[in-house]
Amino acid sequence: MIEILKPGLETTVQDWPGRKGHYNVGFPPCGALDSVSLRLANLLVGNSLNAAGLECQFIGPHLRFTQDAIIALCGADMGATLDGTPLALWQSHAVRAGQVLALGSATLGARTYVAIAGGIDVPPFLGSRATYTLAHVGGFEGRALKNGDRLPIGPAGEARAGRAVKPACRPVIERGRATIEVVVGPNDDWIDEAGQARFFVTEWRLSARSNRVGFRLEGPDWTFTRKAYDKAPENGNEPSNTIDHGYAIGAINLGGQTPIILMNDALTLGGFINPYTVISAAFAKLAQTRPGDRLRFVALEVEAAQDLRRAQDRLCGEESLS
Amino acid sequence: MQFGDDASLALNIMALALDAALKASGTPGIIDSVTCYNTLLVEYEADEISCADLRRELKSLLEGIGPLDAIVVDSRVLVLPLMYADPWTKECIEDYRRKITDRPYDPDYVAEINGLKDRAHLARVHSAGEHWAVTVGSFPGLPVLRPLDPRCTITAPKYNPPRTWTPQGALGLGGVSSSIYTLRSPGGYQLIGRTPVLVFDPLSRNRAFKGEIVLLKSGDRVKFRPIAQDEFEAIEAAVNEGRYDYEISAAQKFSVAAHLAWTKTLTGGPPP
Repeated sequence: MIEILKPGLETTVQDWPGRKGHYNVGFPPCGALDSVSLRLANLLVGNSLNAAGLECQFIGPHLRFTQDAIIALCGADMGATLDGTPLALWQSHAVRAGQVLALGSATLGARTYVAIAGGIDVPPFLGSRATYTLAHVGGFEGRALKNGDRLPIGPAGEARAGRAVKPACRPVIERGRATIEVVVGPNDDWIDEAGQARFFVTEWRLSARSNRVGFRLEGPDWTFTRKAYDKAPENGNEPSNTIDHGYAIGAINLGGQTPIILMNDALTLGGFINPYTVISAAFAKLAQTRPGDRLRFVALEVEAAQDLRRAQDRLCGEESLS
Repeated sequence: MQFGDDASLALNIMALALDAALKASGTPGIIDSVTCYNTLLVEYEADEISCADLRRELKSLLEGIGPLDAIVVDSRVLVLPLMYADPWTKECIEDYRRKITDRPYDPDYVAEINGLKDRAHLARVHSAGEHWAVTVGSFPGLPVLRPLDPRCTITAPKYNPPRTWTPQGALGLGGVSSSIYTLRSPGGYQLIGRTPVLVFDPLSRNRAFKGEIVLLKSGDRVKFRPIAQDEFEAIEAAVNEGRYDYEISAAQKFSVAAHLAWTKTLTGGPPP
């Protein structure tokens, strides 16, 4: 068991790739926002890639282990300690029963993933252990962790301390900025030429009002083509209103003048346009950005985006470990 | 994939027919698909099918569907009890007035902007005809409904700014759509009533759900039966005790051609 002594800002049980195949009845995938870090942490402790771990956001939790365990932390640097001794990221460590793992505030990046050999053994819901707090399902009682919660750990496989992600295979977290790849569309034809050019030259600022549902961007106003004005009344009044349509995860959803990147817990459909879509391989670095960070967007073809995802999947393999 | 620029029933049925054809085709790599008014969103595994091949496959399946008037789909009718202008959504609207901004009472406002006499007239028009389930989503299990009888079309703008909370079971109107809030959640649709029955249950407790977590699926039809508060409370108790009997017809054939022919026979103006 793992006992929660301090929950941190918003710590949830998450897995990869989350809850797939239920988008058609309104379930977003949920799961780790930075799945590269969770997958590497799982590999370090001998888990399968889809084992459930903890996603710690901005301020990490304090946890007491009631049993011996092998653990690994990947992602943001939260100055983790084990009984007061600093604990390195990107490595597996042995924990003895009674020891306390303490995470503080993130000094680089935003989200730290904790994997435990055997995984967090909460009951799966619709095939996944990912927490979906809006619908109160999945994870631990469908919510973020609280003081006194006790998380069950599954049976560990072959796990040992001292394994590490090779330095060259560790994702680099940039301080203060990130370049995020998008594919153009589906509703890029609603934005005029000047608006499209503006999107790619602007340094967008990540808003503090960002969470697992959506990352809000602050920047210049958008300008539209005739399509946004000359439309049937059922589209709605605002230029960015359209007839309800299914949203892809990663879509840059334009509600009025505010672009919101739809993240893992987003609404599955709605009535705003999506001029651009963030590629899945960019989610790992996006998840490590912090409010106030500057985001630049670059466009890729779908095939190039899929190649990046394949490369990222290869990175999350045994060859990345020493 | 988008089929046209309007929110007509015909385009939605085209999306449903293409979705059914895609599922039946055994196309590799399909993870999920979401139909909506005039679109079909497909999630696929790029290692099993390329984007270009999937586009080609969808185009060829669409051609195979044939003319729109020939499409016949299976459709059930579900009768859901609804208390119009109920005290729970009224409390929610009053809370919004106190904490966010003043606004008229939704049922009165929606009646007025649609040229109806009063909130009772709105309830009569909204409950007179069947509503087509365009899709399920946004939130888990949330149905997006549009009226099949053009005389029952009611339009409503969305709240600005949106509400921070909406009671579970609230019936909201936005654009030409009706929706049932499946969870206590934020929202922007005008609230005109509340149903005591569940259309989403993660535990799938009632046999009407047939082991699924959502009651409604795209292509179902919903008719709302107006109820008073005593009946609301009796039904709510039955739902909580798992003994509520949903009123659901067996699937019938719904023909686009027959529907279009029927709408042509209608004269203008809302039903009495």
